Amino acid sequence: MARFVLHRLVLTIPALFGLLVLTFIMLRVVPNDPSAALAGENATPEQIAEVRRAYGFDQPLWKQFVIYVGQVGTGNLGNSIISNRPVLRDIADRLPATMELTFVSLLFATVVGIPIGAIAAVWYQSLFDHAVRVLTVAGLAIASFWFAIILQMIFAMELDWLPLRGRFPEGLAPPYHLTGLYFVDSLLTLRFDLFGRAAEYILMPAFTLSLAGLASIARFTRAGVLETLQKEFVHYAEAAGYRRLRIIWVYVLRNSVVGATTQIGLLFGGLISSAVAVEAIFDWPGVGSYAVNAILSSDYKAVLAITLVVGLIYALVNIMVDVVHAWLDPRVAEKL
Amino acid sequence: MKRRTFLMGGSAVVTAAMMGERAAFALPGPDELIWADDLPGTLDPHAVSDVPMQGYMINVYDTLYVNKQNPPKLVPWLATGHTVADGGLTVTFKLRDGAKFHDGHPLTSDDVAWSFKRMLAIKKGPAAAFLPVLDPDGATAPDPTTVVFKLKRVYAPFLAATPLVAILNRRLVEANVKDNDWGQGWLATNAAGSGSYIPDIEGYQPVQKLDLKRNRDHFMGWSDNTAPIETVRRRPIRETTTRVNALIKGDVDCTDSYLPPDQVERVMASKTATVSKDQSMRLMTLRMNNKKAPFDNLNFRLAVSHAFNYKGFIDGVLKGYAVRNAGPIPVNLWGAPQDLPAYELDLDKAKDYLAKAKAEGAPVDREIEIHIQEHLAQTTQAAQILQQGLRKVGVNLKIIPNLWPQLISSTAKPETTPDMWAHWVSSYFIDPENWIGQMYDSQFHGTWKASSWYKNEKVDSLLHEARGLEAKDQRQALYEQASRIIVADAVDIWIYNGVELRGISRRLRGFNFTPIGSGADFHTMWLAS
Repeated sequence: MARFVLHRLVLTIPALFGLLVLTFIMLRVVPNDPSAALAGENATPEQIAEVRRAYGFDQPLWKQFVIYVGQVGTGNLGNSIISNRPVLRDIADRLPATMELTFVSLLFATVVGIPIGAIAAVWYQSLFDHAVRVLTVAGLAIASFWFAIILQMIFAMELDWLPLRGRFPEGLAPPYHLTGLYFVDSLLTLRFDLFGRAAEYILMPAFTLSLAGLASIARFTRAGVLETLQKEFVHYAEAAGYRRLRIIWVYVLRNSVVGATTQIGLLFGGLISSAVAVEAIFDWPGVGSYAVNAILSSDYKAVLAITLVVGLIYALVNIMVDVVHAWLDPRVAEKL
Repeated sequence: MKRRTFLMGGSAVVTAAMMGERAAFALPGPDELIWADDLPGTLDPHAVSDVPMQGYMINVYDTLYVNKQNPPKLVPWLATGHTVADGGLTVTFKLRDGAKFHDGHPLTSDDVAWSFKRMLAIKKGPAAAFLPVLDPDGATAPDPTTVVFKLKRVYAPFLAATPLVAILNRRLVEANVKDNDWGQGWLATNAAGSGSYIPDIEGYQPVQKLDLKRNRDHFMGWSDNTAPIETVRRRPIRETTTRVNALIKGDVDCTDSYLPPDQVERVMASKTATVSKDQSMRLMTLRMNNKKAPFDNLNFRLAVSHAFNYKGFIDGVLKGYAVRNAGPIPVNLWGAPQDLPAYELDLDKAKDYLAKAKAEGAPVDREIEIHIQEHLAQTTQAAQILQQGLRKVGVNLKIIPNLWPQLISSTAKPETTPDMWAHWVSSYFIDPENWIGQMYDSQFHGTWKASSWYKNEKVDSLLHEARGLEAKDQRQALYEQASRIIVADAVDIWIYNGVELRGISRRLRGFNFTPIGSGADFHTMWLAS
């Protein structure tokens, strides 16, 4: 297993390099020169050209890329051309918020999606099954920004049960910074009151973000359980007199969620990209809003850094999923 | 611990935490203002010169002169006044006594001269307005309260442009210079000002969060405001719907100043907020590349000018929250002729002009393109209205989504400048030079403001002369004359001068709108109980 993980980690390096090349080309091949914006409102072409020289935008593209890769190799992702701050610092400030939102959404999608899918399969063609099928299609089809606004209007504006926006109450100090993940930090510092406050703020954005994933996991689980229920070992277990509940939750489910687990890994990337819209609507201080600002202002170093960091996290999550996959299915583990 | 025990225990902790005493959700305190407008991308006031920076700068920094009221009046601020000598080439400012930086050091003329030198040396943001007329060593400080500027040529808008330049604490910035960077790395996330509010740098998160504390020692004093706001929390909210909801709910005290017209009634109907409607100096223009066929043909440009539904756009899309602006200077600024005939939607005229253009050999049948700013819905709506009008006269207009940095890069050459594109010209400094001067004098070709690539020697001469005159009435006559020529040449489509719509909470008092900074001067504000 350790060898497998190491192998996958090594393979991540060329994958990230490919991602870097692709993103760099996409960003710089299109006419995308921030010099004019940097030079100011009334800058003459000569002043703009001087800014271009100063930032090295006049260098051939390959040379700019070589310089950039050299920087990245030393762990320096450069400074934002707008804020002049190290982009890594900007991302580090915001990444925990996005990670927390994404993981809570993923957790929610998994914890709710798998049982729903399993029950729907067990009660095949029942009213519950029909309802799950309709709702999961709706969950995949509903636009997250629309759903977010509806939730805000009901739970924040009308009922006043949940906060409208943000990650933590204004004027209240967040948990002591250990990981930047408020749930984890509040538990580690035994501040359960802050845990509760953080939970109030994350409920709506996490539910919104999880909706599509939840629907997808439920459908995969349902299909997996339906297939497994036809297997001979299930009939054998029934004939042997095992309780139905035990057969389903212990034997059938474990054999059915392999597909759903793979789906969870893939979903992670989708959740991070969907987080851009959800973060904007709930004013969640994550990487998504930073990425949008960077794109709108042609801050290409910030865009490259975000792509690289998110790519790395995505790769790591998928390695973790492979490990879980092996844990669930010993046949996979033997091949590793 | 068994898995089941762990899960049950965890659930109990979450439930207990959620059931605990619930405090109010993020409601602002009675003495703190939550300002939900955009923050600048950097805190260095010499690095950027845009609308968010203006809102930051007028509170954290001081300038020689400032703009107050609406229509804006230029009033002495750090300076007590100025004198002009050598036929306009020497401008001398006398400074007030008692101005201090936030660290307690006195603000002297040396700081002023050095601030201008730094701004010109780093050549960003506001520098472009001064580089043609002022060398980095052109500002000197002969004594602690006198600053002398030696201009390279007479430049009447110089005084109006001085509010662009924040005066920095030289001692503090120089102590943080690295690799001859003029302190740019440090000042991007720090402050070195003397303004009426002091930023809390410890809690600063770029474009996301900044708290300001009142500067009790500000040189202007606080006698004009008996209950000044102690803490201002700047909390930009990106999404319009959330911003408006937050205002109505009482989470924040304002929106940005571009409230969508369809949200105005909703805010006005709420018990917690209202809308401040202030005519600004923000001119919406659809540019035409006068160097590209068929836009190099006057009759074609006239046809396009008559194919836009100005009234429909202002009354329909903007719900009347805009003022028709017939020419290239905002109607509420001197220099704009008050009797300037405005183009109106007239498809018959458009067809006639189109026929004339065709007869003159203009390629009127080719598909033309208009580039819009993708994230600004109004540019799309304006383009669609023009598309509709042009389709009726047989011209095919294609709408291309684009972004600001790419658009202004493309305007460096006539061949890369789009056929048409949509933008606003905001009030960076209050002088006709900011609009007509920089948009239609051919010496500015290659900049986004002059992206019509219009060249008319008579207009060039009028604008050049206006820059060299001190007397406002003489300059006004020249700008009016130039405006008439430019409008007759149908160089661009000038649509409206904006009315800024800012949702504000009903507890906020003392909000005084000025186009520079869009009314974000916290010095005059207080909160009703």
